[in-house]
Amino acid sequence: MIAELGHLLAFLALAAAIGQSALGLTTGGEAPRRLAFACGIFSVLAMLTLIISFVQLDFSVALVAENSHTLKPLIYRIAGAWGNHEGSMLLWCMVMAGYGAAASVFMRAGPLRDKALGVQGLLTTGFFAYLLFASSPFTRLIDPPFDGGGMNPLLQDPAVALHPPALYLGYVGMSFVFSLAASGLINGQIDQEWARRTRPWALFAWSSLTVGIALGAIWAYYELGWGGWWFWDPVENASFMPWLVSAALIHSLIVTEKRGGMASWTVFLSVLTFILALLGTFLVRSGVMTSVHAFATDPTRGLVLLFGLSIAGGAALALFAWRAPTLKAGPEFDPVSREGALVLNNLFLAVAAALVLVGTVTPMILQWLGESGIISREAASISIGEPYFQLTLAPMIAMLLLFMPFAQAAPWRKAELGPLMKWLMPAAAVAVVAAIVALAMGGWGIWLGFGVLVGVWVVVGVGMDVVRRVGPGGFGRVLRLPLTVWGMAIAHIGMGLFVIGATVETATRTEQTFPLRPGEVAEMAGWTFQFQNLEEVEGPNYSALRANILVTHDGRTEVIQPETRTFQVARTSTTEVAIRKTLGGDVYVALGDQVREDPSAWRIRIAYHPLIDWVFGGAGLIAVGGFLSLVARVRRRSAAPAPETEATVESPPAPASVPA
Amino acid sequence: MIAPLIALILQAAQPAAPAEAPLPDPALEMRAQGLMRELRCTVCENEPVSQSTADMAVDARKRIREEIAKGASDTQVREFFVSRFGQYVSFRPPLEGWTLLLWGFPFALLAGAGIFIGMRAFGGRKRDLAPLPDDRGDGAAG
Repeated sequence: MIAELGHLLAFLALAAAIGQSALGLTTGGEAPRRLAFACGIFSVLAMLTLIISFVQLDFSVALVAENSHTLKPLIYRIAGAWGNHEGSMLLWCMVMAGYGAAASVFMRAGPLRDKALGVQGLLTTGFFAYLLFASSPFTRLIDPPFDGGGMNPLLQDPAVALHPPALYLGYVGMSFVFSLAASGLINGQIDQEWARRTRPWALFAWSSLTVGIALGAIWAYYELGWGGWWFWDPVENASFMPWLVSAALIHSLIVTEKRGGMASWTVFLSVLTFILALLGTFLVRSGVMTSVHAFATDPTRGLVLLFGLSIAGGAALALFAWRAPTLKAGPEFDPVSREGALVLNNLFLAVAAALVLVGTVTPMILQWLGESGIISREAASISIGEPYFQLTLAPMIAMLLLFMPFAQAAPWRKAELGPLMKWLMPAAAVAVVAAIVALAMGGWGIWLGFGVLVGVWVVVGVGMDVVRRVGPGGFGRVLRLPLTVWGMAIAHIGMGLFVIGATVETATRTEQTFPLRPGEVAEMAGWTFQFQNLEEVEGPNYSALRANILVTHDGRTEVIQPETRTFQVARTSTTEVAIRKTLGGDVYVALGDQVREDPSAWRIRIAYHPLIDWVFGGAGLIAVGGFLSLVARVRRRSAAPAPETEATVESPPAPASVPA
Repeated sequence: MIAPLIALILQAAQPAAPAEAPLPDPALEMRAQGLMRELRCTVCENEPVSQSTADMAVDARKRIREEIAKGASDTQVREFFVSRFGQYVSFRPPLEGWTLLLWGFPFALLAGAGIFIGMRAFGGRKRDLAPLPDDRGDGAAG
């Protein structure tokens, strides 16, 4: 019964979404608000019924039969509900309806809310229709199997259980930012008030997307056994593009909110972010590429998605083209000003997104051209990977970071470059020294030097800006610093730490594979690894080969145990690496295959990943900063509805006017 | 249930077999590892040879080290692999023909957009603007 109930609830959600869009776009008022709330409730309940089917292992539901198994632990049974195409589409629909419900609760009544709920209702209708008519998760089997087919064992991991929900909060959150933009365009009201009310939603979506991407990277690092955390895989790039564009968006929204400038560019970014999120879904779900993410390799589904994407994207761009000429230009500003710095931020981020897009889709387009015989197979065979993205993206990120401390410290409208540069001299000096130290320690690579230079420059420069804002007057003032400043500073410092970690890790990681027989010893960088023996271990739904390796470093020894797990049901195996944390980085040991020519020997992969925690920690701080900014805005709004009258901390003068 | 698959062999520690030994010169080894990261393991899914334990990757790593030890340049090693497996094997698109566009466009776009913004927003105007006082103390994040 439970699956039929879920099916019914999904249809009710579809009906509510249709009503929400029709009424939201016409009469507005209370009715669409209630329908949006109902749509959210119906979708959550529908998801819940699916989760119950997974927990109860109801194998008469086709999706459960395909994707679960009696041997699976409970938490992965729950996560199994969205670890497949149909379930993840239901999750997508639920989050989309959930944003509408959240808006119905948190947004003030008015035309902005009405039309935004209307547009969001349209999108929700489309996705629910796709779910129910092209990929229903509630289909029953006439002849249920005795046991299920299991789940891709790679996905049996806590980070990856949470990865899709976080990612979808981000991806789908962009749909509501888009709805707000469309609403503003329909109402002809893209102004400071619009930006002020849109920004919290953009901040929430962007911060969630950051968390989702970071969880994916952490999972790749721990679970795939290569020690890499970013592979420039098309799937990863699909989430990175909307991240870059929405990072640009949350900055241009600041200019629109504070100064009324860049309005049409801000709206364009809102539209573009959502189109890129849809494109990402299409790339991942259409089966145009193979990866762990490609659950659906059915080309008709891909065509339906592509069709929907073209309609949504085309309509959005048409709406934009129709209304953009009516948008007013903002007040004048000098190139050297906070506005100017934020324009540069948007320039670098937009170019970065463009190059990721081109680098990702070019090989796919060429492959398609080659397969259809339009160009020769040789011409179609090309790979675009790490070297391309690193060489082209690194300069953009370096420039982004170079201007970051200026952007934080420069006043609006006009800044004096001379005093600013003089004031930031200490940060520059520290950065240069740090870069030289890094080069001396890690080898004379140009990227290493640049990465550490701009990273340290940002961390110190942002720190100086915080100190400036605190001003003289003791510790009490530190606590009274507005939360918005903390949000900005923490996110920017996180960015600096991330760049330092990523460049140091990429430039100086070492890895080596040793074929070892039991008893043999491998040595790497002052560490010795003695392969003692191999044992067989039974897990809940897998059997593992576990290596006991005696590690010696600085006179201390300990046993580490990397594993390979073989999942009988899915007939695949995964790697469980053993990681020894040190202050400077991770010692990372993975058990590989048996050596072909010498069956008593096993390939043991040993790697050292310096500053890897800075990579994940930096990404975490970026997300924390984003959420803090959001909390600050929500708190301030409830404390003081009129922004002009609120009590604020008196600010020390900007450095431009500080006598140096 | 824990069953020993291979009995613990009590024997004196022996040095590992040299099949995957690094090159003695750290600078050469660094170059070799760099190449391993940008050549594709052709039997894997989207993995460079540095990351795979597949036999093709093992052989490729061995070959890269041999070539580097013989004094081959990075370009010669890349060409060796491309001549065998096609351009597909290299994650680094070549710098010739239409791929010049691929490599060049991000920088062209940056320059073009930068010039466009500069001309449109700031070109030919003389203004007398004063800094806006930072009234709220919360700056850009406000």
